[in-house]
Amino acid sequence: MEEKRYQAIIEKIWPRLKRKHLYPEIPIPKVGEVPPRDREGEEKGEAVGLEMKQKQITINSTFLSNMKDKMAEENVIEALLDHGITHYTFCPWDFHTHLMLYAEAKKIMGDKEMAKQAANYFIDVTADTYCVKKKFTEIPELHRVLKKGVVEKIIASLYEKIWGVNLGILEARTDKKGHEEVVRRLARIPYLDRSRWSESVKKFARSLKPLLLEEQREEEAMGGKGDSNPQGDHDLNYYSYEEIDQGLRDYAKKTMALPEFKDIVEDFSEELKEAGYGMEGGMGRGRGTPIDADVLFYMKLAESYSMPLKKVPMEEKGDLHPHSHSPWEVGSPFQDMDIWTSFGKIMPGITQIWKKREGKGRGKIDSTPDCLIAIDSSGSMINPRKNLSYAVLGAACATNAYLRNDAKVAVYNFSDAPMGGKDILHYTDNPAEIYQVLCKYFGGGTALDMEDLVPLIQGRKNLDLFIITDMKITNLEALIGFFGQIQNRVTAVHIGENPYAARFQRAVERKRNISIFTVKRKEDIPHIVLGKIGEYFCATHKN
Amino acid sequence: MKGTFSPKKRLAETHEKETQGVRNPFEEFQAFTFQETTLPLDQIIESTELVMDQIRRGYEKLLEEEAKELVWMVQYNTIIKAYEVAEKHVREIDYSAEDIEDFCFALENTQKIPYFIPGPAGLYISALCNYAKEQEILLKLSELKTEINLIGFRLPKGKRLVIEGDAGDFTGIGLEGGELVVEGNTKNWTGAGMRGGKILVKKNIGLHTGEWMMGGEIYVGGRIRGLGNIVEGKVFERDKLVYPGKARHPNLYY
Repeated sequence: MEEKRYQAIIEKIWPRLKRKHLYPEIPIPKVGEVPPRDREGEEKGEAVGLEMKQKQITINSTFLSNMKDKMAEENVIEALLDHGITHYTFCPWDFHTHLMLYAEAKKIMGDKEMAKQAANYFIDVTADTYCVKKKFTEIPELHRVLKKGVVEKIIASLYEKIWGVNLGILEARTDKKGHEEVVRRLARIPYLDRSRWSESVKKFARSLKPLLLEEQREEEAMGGKGDSNPQGDHDLNYYSYEEIDQGLRDYAKKTMALPEFKDIVEDFSEELKEAGYGMEGGMGRGRGTPIDADVLFYMKLAESYSMPLKKVPMEEKGDLHPHSHSPWEVGSPFQDMDIWTSFGKIMPGITQIWKKREGKGRGKIDSTPDCLIAIDSSGSMINPRKNLSYAVLGAACATNAYLRNDAKVAVYNFSDAPMGGKDILHYTDNPAEIYQVLCKYFGGGTALDMEDLVPLIQGRKNLDLFIITDMKITNLEALIGFFGQIQNRVTAVHIGENPYAARFQRAVERKRNISIFTVKRKEDIPHIVLGKIGEYFCATHKN
Repeated sequence: MKGTFSPKKRLAETHEKETQGVRNPFEEFQAFTFQETTLPLDQIIESTELVMDQIRRGYEKLLEEEAKELVWMVQYNTIIKAYEVAEKHVREIDYSAEDIEDFCFALENTQKIPYFIPGPAGLYISALCNYAKEQEILLKLSELKTEINLIGFRLPKGKRLVIEGDAGDFTGIGLEGGELVVEGNTKNWTGAGMRGGKILVKKNIGLHTGEWMMGGEIYVGGRIRGLGNIVEGKVFERDKLVYPGKARHPNLYY
């Protein structure tokens, strides 16, 4: 009954709120029960005001009931919604900014939980200050009546100082002198200047650190972990899978630093796993396995670059025809159902659909061949698990280019191959498996075993080869000889300039099926054109 | 000519007819008034920026006068002269202890301050501390990537300077009765030529500690790498008096 009444209030004020916040793209908020964060061995804390999961704001009915005597219901709802919407429209704005704020806070706090706390406080102060400055809001009134711990009192004193309102803290304050100093430091931070947030959050964390440490010690002594944030916690549930994906991609690209990215992914590993990140079961989704931060770094970074891929004419023209059966799932097209093998029933698990395949025809259409990637992981190459390796990034971009075009990729990761320093992955379209092999580092000598390559190439009429190395290969002559025999398209990428690379370049310059590229900086990677050969256009015309 | 319509007027009428019944999607924003509130925060930030600009200008002037070729040698007379120039510029600024800390971090930001020369920078920060209104100054410098040299130079009696983090060479030289607390390590020549006051280093200290020290006390929580030629004063290592004492030789590595 209560919930219905609250929902009616939301429905009444929502058009006005949407207008006030310039029509944010979020659905109408709901009212429901939002349980406080359950932590092991902890008593249930104060009810949180709201929760935001994948853009859906849920106002906690228990919180509203608790606030009934302190503030008008409509005003509480409006203040909570102002706060929630501002997280979406101003701070943190997106997952990348959230990660950046956390990473900067962690540099100061050192501890994961405390860094999360500091970043969350910063996000709240920024969002509320923005609201108070730019919109007419009931947020100050809400802060006046909220229950406060030590840190919340400091934050409320800060609000009094920077908003110029009385939240009843000044009179009630009997705290230590040090707290005044903290407030004075916090009040000097330009919260509304987005371009300075990375510097500001560090200053914020530095000022709040002694208090957070003190609070942590007290909580540990009491055996609990404290109350939840009454305005709602900021975790990854707030973001959709796509936003997390985009955020990780942006963060990888912005930092370009593997250790920093690894740190963040490890800190958020639980939340990322909940959001569907993991390396098993397809494109980075799955549960149960630890997230390989290195692999994820190259995956996300590679998504920021696109390599053009030239297709070749392949004899695979024809119509689709029913080929085999597969189980029907909700959402699959009805027209593909095979009613004979489904016993006339539409039910997941019983119903079967036809899987269609393209038939062989006489015409020729452009298509992408499979690719064999040979990657050098010898001692002269950068260890991809310690620093950003352009070789792995380049190979990852090539992998993406082939997989996007429905081709398969095999990997030959070599160091001193004849001595066993190698890893071979057969043709697959599973990016997780490919990335795992690409990121492997042997760090030994450099020699290719041509006998390893033969079975990967044999019997494949159309196959591209992609080799990425610094060319400091002991048996470079054997490799040159091998490339001289094959007619496949070869894209050879060498990292940096050296006499070996020059020797290779001279040896194969007459071979029109081999294209050579140099990568000195990450910006050189998109300039690689996979399978770029001179004969391509002539070959197409001849057919 | 009377009674004839101009083509412009006719066009407007046609347009009016055509758009009859079509609603302007932005119509409701005609009544929308966007009013920003001025918060005390705006004023705080504005004045903070202003003070930071003044401090920055003072430092740049010091470099112009004392480190023209962006080279500065640590010598007795260069230190004295640079400090005098720093004093002159600092006296004209109205700042707080937090501004000093902000300036220390701004020194590492090349976009804000293009040249960070540790010697003059340290003397300038010392002058800022010595002329600050506050009796006690806390500088949280743990995250600073470079240690500042010459910090605490001539810290006067009645002032207490606390540094969270490490300090560089020549920390607390010429101390004039103040109390300097470094919660991390300090490098060589700490407390050289100090006349009075107290230096407390919570961790380790480098070589030539207390060189030509004329008075005062140095307390070290960790280890002293080497003592200088001390004239007068006391040096304690982990609560144990090491000078005056017979067991220690100047700059002995132990």
